[in-house]
Amino acid sequence: MDAILDILNELNPDVDYRDRTDLVDSRTLDSLTIITLVSELEDAFDITIPAVEVVPANFNSLEGMWKMVERMRESGL
Amino acid sequence: MKSYFSLTVLALFLPATMLCYQLMPRRLRWLVLLAASYIFFWSISGKLLVFLLISTGTIWLAGIGLDRLLRERASRLRAPGANRRDIKRRYARYMRFVLAAGLVVNLSMLFAFKYLSFAQRLLAPLATPLLAHAGITFPQEAVALAAPIGISFYTLQAVSYLIDVHRQSISADRNPARLALFLSFFPLIMEGPICRYGDTAQALWAGRPITAENISRGGMRILWGLAKKVIVADRVNLLVKTVFEQYGSYDGGVIALAAVLYTVQLYCDFSGTMDFVMGCGRIFGVTLPENFKQPYLSRTASEFWQRWHITLGTWFRDYVFYPLSLSKPVKRLTSAARKAFGNRMGPLAASGVALLAVWLGNGLWHGAGGQYVLFGLFWFVAIWIGGLTEPFAQALCERLRIDRASMPYRVLQHVRTLAIIFVGELIFRAQGGSAALGMLGKLLGGFTLESFANGTVLGLGMDAADFVCVGIAVAVIVAVGILRERGVSLTTWFWSHNAVTWSAAVCALAIIAVIFGAYGAGYVPVDPMYASF
Repeated sequence: MDAILDILNELNPDVDYRDRTDLVDSRTLDSLTIITLVSELEDAFDITIPAVEVVPANFNSLEGMWKMVERMRESGL
Repeated sequence: MKSYFSLTVLALFLPATMLCYQLMPRRLRWLVLLAASYIFFWSISGKLLVFLLISTGTIWLAGIGLDRLLRERASRLRAPGANRRDIKRRYARYMRFVLAAGLVVNLSMLFAFKYLSFAQRLLAPLATPLLAHAGITFPQEAVALAAPIGISFYTLQAVSYLIDVHRQSISADRNPARLALFLSFFPLIMEGPICRYGDTAQALWAGRPITAENISRGGMRILWGLAKKVIVADRVNLLVKTVFEQYGSYDGGVIALAAVLYTVQLYCDFSGTMDFVMGCGRIFGVTLPENFKQPYLSRTASEFWQRWHITLGTWFRDYVFYPLSLSKPVKRLTSAARKAFGNRMGPLAASGVALLAVWLGNGLWHGAGGQYVLFGLFWFVAIWIGGLTEPFAQALCERLRIDRASMPYRVLQHVRTLAIIFVGELIFRAQGGSAALGMLGKLLGGFTLESFANGTVLGLGMDAADFVCVGIAVAVIVAVGILRERGVSLTTWFWSHNAVTWSAAVCALAIIAVIFGAYGAGYVPVDPMYASF
C-alpha cells in the first residue's frame, strides 16, 4: 500500500490519502490524474487495469486502489 | 406539451399521471409511467415514436443476446476438459459482434437525424465533381429530417445500458416494457439527465406510493425551476437573440454582455428544467442523478465540467475517455510519452488523444455545426492545457510561496474560469462557426464600453428594471448555491419547520415567479434550450 501512497503523493502531496474515502467523489482525483495514476500503477505492479475497473469505488480510497491492484495481480492481468 | 413548464403539463398531464399512478396497484404503477411517457413522446414527435420503439427493441434484443452468450460461455467453461482460453476468446468475439450490432443500429439513427445534412454540406464540394465524372448527381438540396424528441439523450442511455451489460456491470433486462420505461421516462426524455440503468431503473418500476412529503418537496423544486426560467431565462431572451443574430451591428462590449447573459440564461433554463425533472422524479419516488452542482463556483475548466451537465460529462468519461486512454494504441503512446516527457507529463500528454476525441464528440453531440466543433476544440484546449500546466503552477506557487488555498488566489481562479466559461458559451450560441470567430474577433478587437455609456444596451430588449431584476435573481441563485455548497438546503430548512412556514415559503416563491416573471408583451419566452440538442 505504501507504494501506491508514494505514487499519489508524487501526483499531489497536499492530500491526506490515508483517511480519505471520497477522492473521486470530491473531485480530488480528476480523470486526467486518474489516467496518470493508472499508468503508474500498471508500471509499479506490472498489471493491466482495464477501463471497466476505472470506477469511483476503486479510486475513492487508498484501500480501494490496493484491493483493485491485488485483484488484478491475482487474475494475472 | 413542448415545454415541461407549459400549463398543459403542469395543470393537466402531470396531475392526471399522478392520479392514475396512485390509483393503480403498486406492481402495475410502472405501466402508468410507461403509458404516460409514450403519450408525452407522441404528443411532441407523433409517428417518430417508431424510432424510439426501434431503439428499445434493438437494445433489448442485443442485451438478451449478450446475456445468453454469457450464460453459454459459463456453462462451456464448466464442462470437463474445456479449453478455457479458446472458449473465452471465441465468446469475447461473439459478444463484441452483438455489442457492435446494437451500437451501429442506434448510432446510425442518431447520425441520420442529426448529422446527415451536416455531412452532406461537408462532402458536397468533394463529392459533386467526383460523382459527376461517373454520371451521378450528388444531391444539392439539404436533407433535413425532423428528429424524434430526446434522441440524443435516449440514445446515450441505450448505449450505456448495452455497454454495461457487455461489461457485466449489470444484467440484461428480460422485460422489454421495463427497458422501454427506462429509455422513455417522460421527465427525462427532453433534456436528460442521462441516467445509468444500474442506478435508476429499479426505482422506476418500484411503484413507490406518492406521499405528501414527496409532492410538497418535489413541487417546491419544480417551482424553483419555474422561477429561474420565467424570471431570468425568459427575461434575457430578447437581448441575447438580437445580439447573437445580428452581432455585426454591435461592438465588443455589447457582445461581451450578450455572452454573459446567454451563459446565465442557459444555466437558468437548463438547470430550471432539471429542477422540474428532479422534482417530478421525487413525486414518483425516483431519485435521479443531479446534472448541476453550482458550476459557477468552479475554480478550473476541468472542475466546471464536473459541475455542469454532469451526466453528459460522466458518460463521455466512462464510455469514451477511459476506454480510449486505456486502449492498446494509446497505452503505447503513453509509454513513448513517458520516456520523452517523464512519468508525470507523459501520460498527461498522451491522454490528449482521448481528450480530443471526447471534446469533439461532446461538441458534435450538441449538434451538427461549425460552432459546436469549435466549442469542443475550445474546451479540449482549456482542459488539456490546464492539466499540462498544473505541475508547473504547483511548483511556481511553492517557489513564490503563494498559498493556493488563500482567498485572493481562489478569487483569481474563479474570475479566470468564469472568463473561460463565457467565451465557451459565446462560441456555443453563435449562429455557426464563422459567426463564432467573428464575435470573438469583435470581442478582442472592438471592445468598448460606449454602448453602455450612451444607453444603447437599454434598447436591445431589456430596460434598466429588467437588468436590476436579473441582477437580484442571479445574486439569490448564487447565494442559494453557496449555501448548498456548504451543506445547507433551504428546502430541508423550511420543511423542518411547521406547515405554516412551509406554506408561506411556497406561496412566496409562487408570488415572486408570478410578479417578476417575464411574460406578456415585450418578452419572448425561450424554448427549452437543450430539447433541441
